[in-house]
Amino acid sequence: MASILKVDTITGVSTAGSIAVTGEGNSTTTNLQQGLAKSWCYISASGNTLSDSLNIGSIADNGTGSYQANFTNNMNNVLFSQAITSGSYANSMNCEGSTSDCATSQFRIRGANGNETAAVDIPNVYGLIHGDLA
Amino acid sequence: MASELRVNTLKDASGNNSVATSTIAEGTAKAWVNMNGDNTVAIRTSSNTSSITDNGTGDYSMTFTSSLTDANYVVSGCAMFKQNINAHMLCLGDYNGGNGTTPATTGFRFRTVYNNGGSTDAPQDTQIITPMVTR
Repeated sequence: MASILKVDTITGVSTAGSIAVTGEGNSTTTNLQQGLAKSWCYISASGNTLSDSLNIGSIADNGTGSYQANFTNNMNNVLFSQAITSGSYANSMNCEGSTSDCATSQFRIRGANGNETAAVDIPNVYGLIHGDLA
Repeated sequence: MASELRVNTLKDASGNNSVATSTIAEGTAKAWVNMNGDNTVAIRTSSNTSSITDNGTGDYSMTFTSSLTDANYVVSGCAMFKQNINAHMLCLGDYNGGNGTTPATTGFRFRTVYNNGGSTDAPQDTQIITPMVTR
């Protein structure tokens, strides 16, 4: 019989921030909190517009090809994982910098040209964050 | 006391924002790692990742703690280097026709490369690498 659970918040019993979900193979479990994306964003207009997002309070244009996304709810540490995708076939895209450019409150995206010899604005960029929320 | 809840659908208390539990199971990341990719290669933090192996310059393997149900998963992520230009890319398996390997249920091999101005990308160790797996 189909069942529906209506709730606003799900909390673990043993540990509030840890809920196991049975995997597709029906034998192992995966941790719900660890697997949830903690933030994503679609930044358009060459870094000027936050078109849609999850857990992003604001964006900043730090210069040509350098964008900053500020979290609404901060991460627990700077050891989160990032995936950045360019929406422009003419340019390549990568994250900007390393640990010194990441903070619990934000992450940065950097755009470079096809030869990766200069920073350039990218029309559309997409960011995805996994890690631990504060 | 541990408890188990068996339902097909979750909704908020207003009856909106319906999501099937199968979507939750399939949509959550099955593994991710934030790792040092140069000097001493090491995991900084991770989920469902038992180890990272340094196979050579810009060449790494990621092993899952719990295997995936098959090898048809999606790998995304970033290779970060502290330079203003010379972007690095994370590549799964094959690099430039080199010794590519097929992803397995237990893990996968990946490389970080950069564009050195030539016709082919070149492997290079990258400071911070963040692969993530969805299935």
